[in-house]
Formats: sequence, structure tokens, C-alpha cells
Amino acid sequence: MRKRIIYILLIIAPLLCVFATLFVGRYPLSLALVVKTLWGQIALVNYDIPDMYQTLVWDIRMPRAILGAMVGGCLAVSGASFQGLFRNPLVSSGILGVSSGAGFGAALAIILFQGNTSAIYIFAFAFALLAVLLSYLIGRVYNTTPTITLVLGGVVVSSIFSALISFAKYVADPYQDLPAIVFWLMGSLATARYHDILVAGIPMSIGIAGLLAIRWRINVLSMGDREAHSLGVNLAVDKGIVIVCASLATAGAVCVSGIIGWVGLVIPHICRMIVGNDNRVLIPASLSLGACFLVLVDNVGRIITGSEMPLGILTALIGGPFFVWLLKKTKGGSW
Amino acid sequence: MSILQVTNASFSYEQHLEKIFEDISFEVGQGEIFCLLGPNGCGKSTLLDNILGVNHLQQGKIRVMGRDTRTLKSGEIARYIAYVPQSHERTFPYQVIDIVKMGRAAYTGRFSSPSAEDKEIAKEALDLVGLRHLRHRPYTQLSGGEGQLVMIARALAQKTPVIVMDEPTAHLDFKHEMVVMETIVKLVKNTDLTVVMATHFPNHTFYLENNGIKTTVALMHNKHFLEVGNPTKVLNEHNMRTLYNVNTKLMTCPLDTSTVLKQLVPVSTLNGIKEEERNAYVR
Repeated sequence: MRKRIIYILLIIAPLLCVFATLFVGRYPLSLALVVKTLWGQIALVNYDIPDMYQTLVWDIRMPRAILGAMVGGCLAVSGASFQGLFRNPLVSSGILGVSSGAGFGAALAIILFQGNTSAIYIFAFAFALLAVLLSYLIGRVYNTTPTITLVLGGVVVSSIFSALISFAKYVADPYQDLPAIVFWLMGSLATARYHDILVAGIPMSIGIAGLLAIRWRINVLSMGDREAHSLGVNLAVDKGIVIVCASLATAGAVCVSGIIGWVGLVIPHICRMIVGNDNRVLIPASLSLGACFLVLVDNVGRIITGSEMPLGILTALIGGPFFVWLLKKTKGGSW
Repeated sequence: MSILQVTNASFSYEQHLEKIFEDISFEVGQGEIFCLLGPNGCGKSTLLDNILGVNHLQQGKIRVMGRDTRTLKSGEIARYIAYVPQSHERTFPYQVIDIVKMGRAAYTGRFSSPSAEDKEIAKEALDLVGLRHLRHRPYTQLSGGEGQLVMIARALAQKTPVIVMDEPTAHLDFKHEMVVMETIVKLVKNTDLTVVMATHFPNHTFYLENNGIKTTVALMHNKHFLEVGNPTKVLNEHNMRTLYNVNTKLMTCPLDTSTVLKQLVPVSTLNGIKEEERNAYVR
């Protein structure tokens, strides 16, 4: 019974956050207006709503909220999965180089194609996956991939791509490309359109579905290679599925949102304090809380200053104190 | 009937590297305990790894219930052989019951989780080691001894005919060493389990023998078995000197009318103190 309530809450919470987003912004909208706008579109009823509100709700705030929820969920779930797989609570969704790979891809596209958004998505996505592949190949010894060499591979690849990002910044045109690169790296959902949701949503959905399906196995994998093997796990296949799914989800997220740190590291820990460490509950909880968190933080970013505050800054500024508060309150869970 | 059969087993990590062990053969029957004894680095754990299918033999065969482990997938081996690790690194504070449920992985599909029946099996396994009352505790908060019993429970939940244990009493205190040994004896007697274990304590094998379990000891020395047999036959002062370079005395004292308590007591390392001094000490 308690379990069912938790699951219902996990589903409702992100929906509520998305709904709340529709009211937030420079033009305040009343509840009646938002509901009418939504219902009008869904049921094809004409309430004579001005085009401006129609656009505001359906084309600006709604896609942004949905994308925020998807990105937040993806980052948090990938982070939780990697923490389990690598048996390391300090690991985040970017551990295998996805984020820095994507960052370099985006920077390259900004320089080469003058900031064409499709080019940025494609390059960011491709380089994100390239980075994971390189980490995997580096981590591969004796036909197996021991966890520690995989993490080392990720660290090496991350730092190489970080250096390449710096190089891209160094050679970029300082008046046009450089600010674009810097802003991209700080993360934003400002450009969200339905088109982005559909395209980037494919890898994100595949990744999330895979991780949700295999989530109990992540428990077993977190026992370490030798024990997982003796418990009957096919290490190559199961690890491979987790890595591929988490990488797809993260790559899909960062290629549209830029680099948003913190979510993939700390949301899983916040969930551990609330629902415990069993990945059967932890993974869905991370999905839900990650989604809520990013949508709410994005709302804060849209209202606290005249111009928008980049997401990557706010996630840490808001999440940090919240994490500390929770740590004190739960006395660190069972750690 | 022999449950586990190892024939002419040889292994090295790479073809051109020196062999870790060579041409080793033994058999273990149902309800028996097979103890591997030998100094650190003699290859006990490597041999266990090969039995578990973590590594693969270069030559020879390992059969469990007549089936060549080489031809079994990891999910299949896990239904024949379970594993109790020497030291388990506890990373995430899972609940005890969740740890034991992991023993059901071999019976659970990749994309599903343990059923209600699996949960019952896990609880029964906890009963067998007497830890049911701790099932909702985070296992990171258990003592070393309780943690080791949880590992044994997890292996029991796997419902295998064979359990491989790598130094199950390492790092345990005086009492819990005994608790783990008593648990092993109880399990082997009650469930006809077959146990293969590496140990650093020759006296443990006397303990098993005294408790009426058919115990075989293999002394692993220079890539081969120096001697294989029951503890009373194999564990003598001469063999201890060859195996460990340690001078020992075998002490005996009657425990009750039917059993004699035997203990090998280390006296000195072979080149540690001079001969006369040692003799004086022993006297």
C-alpha cells in the first residue's frame, strides 16, 4: 500500500511541476485562462483565447517544461545507474565523458556552422557517444572491462575533451562564437521546441526505458564483478546494456540542453535518503525527482532576474543548500 | 556420487606466463567439505575462480553434477555453484533482505525483479543463518560476522548443490569465527550441501572432522597438491613445515568419550629462532 502511494506520487509530481510552469513567467496567466487554453486545444473547443496566450502556453512554456522534465529525469536516472554500476557514490551521469564530449561537439558546430541549432544537436550527440565509446575501448583489457579501468578511461576522455573545448574557445571568434559556446556550456532550455522534444526524445526514451527495465540487475551489478558473475549475471551483456542506455539518455539530454551539472550526481543521493538504495525504487524516484527539480529550477531561472539565468549555475546554487539541508535532516540516510 | 570433479586442471593468466597451478585433480561428494590449505599467493583463490567460471582453465576439466562448467553460461553455473566472498566491500546500504534476494538473480529474468516466492526463499535462507530479525537493517551497519552470515544466506538463496567459500572466517573476531563455522556445519549436516573452501586455519578442518562431516584437506604447494586426505592424516608437523616453513606441535586432548580435540599450534618459523632455543621453548 505504502509502495503504491509512493509510485503514484512519483508519477503525479512531475506532471504538477509541468503544469505549474505554465503560470510562471513575465506574463502572469490566471488559472482559468491556462485551463481554458489547454482544454481548448485538447478538446478542440473554441474559447476565443487571444493568439498570444495560445502561443505562450502551448508553444513556449509547455515545450520548455516538458523538455526540462525529460532532461532532468534522464540525467538523474543515468547518474543513479552509473553510481550503481561503478559501485561509486561519487560518480555522475558524465563519468564516461558524455558531457565533455557533447560540449566539444557543440563548440565545434558553433564554430563550423555559425550556431545552426540542428548542427549543434547532431554534433553534440555524436561526440557524446564517441566519448563513451573511447572510454569503453580504453577501459577494455583482456577482453573484459573492469570497473576501475572503465572509470579511468572516462576520466582520461573527459579531460581530453575538456582540453579540446578550451582549444575551441581559444580559436573561436570572440564576438560571436565564443559567447555562444560559453552559454551553451552553462546549459539552457530556452530554445525548446516540440521538434527538439521529438528528436532528442528518441534516445532519451530508449535509454530511460532500458534502465527502468534492467533496474533490479543494477543492484546485482553493484556487488562487484566477481560476485555478480557468481550470482548468475552475464557481465558483458548487462553492463553493456546499462552503459548504452545511460549514455543514450544523457547524450539525448545534453545535446538539447547543454551541460547541466549536479542533477546527475546529487538527485540520486537525495532519492537514496528518501526511498533507500534499492534500485527498483531508486531509479523511478530519480526519474521523477530529477524531472521536478529541473523544471522548478528552470522556473526560478526565468523569474529571478530580468534576463534568464543559465541553468547550470542555478542547479548547483539551489540544489547545493537543499542537499545540505536534507543531509542534516536525514542524518545522511544509512551511510 | 561426486558432485564436483576437477581433472588435470592447469591455469595461467596468459599462455606464455608461468602456471598458477598445474595438473590438479580432485573430487568432492555430496555433503562433504573440501578444504584448500596453503600459504598466501599459492593459487587457492585462483583455483576457486576457475571453479566459479570467473577464469577458464587452460587444460583440464571442471564438472559439476556431471556437466562441464566450460559449456555453461554464467546464469547456469550460478544454479550449481554459489559463492561466499572472502571480504565483501559494502558500498550502498542495501537492506539485508535485498542482499539475500540477489541470490535469486540466476532465476530471475534480466528485465524483471524477484517474485514473492523469491522473497520467501530469501527469508528462509536468513532463517538458516539465524538473521531473519535483521532483514530490514542496512547491511552496512552489521558487524563483520553478521555480514559474513548474510553472504552465506545469499549463497543459500541461490539453492545450489555446491557453495564455494573463500576464507569465510577471515577478519572475524573470536566468537564470530566460531559462529560461522557452526553455521557451516549445521548447513552441511541439514541440507547435504557440498562446500569447497579455502582457509588459512588448519584447525578449522579438525573442527569440521570432529563434528562428523566428511572433510578432505588438500595442501596446495608449488602449483600442485602436496597431499590430499582427511585432516588427521594430512595435517602433521612435517607437512606444516613443508607448506608454511613453520614448526608446529600437534596437541591433542580428549573432548569427551568419543572425540579427541586436535590442534596444530605454531611454534616458530623455520628460520626464525635457533634450533636449541626452539627446543628449549618447546620443552
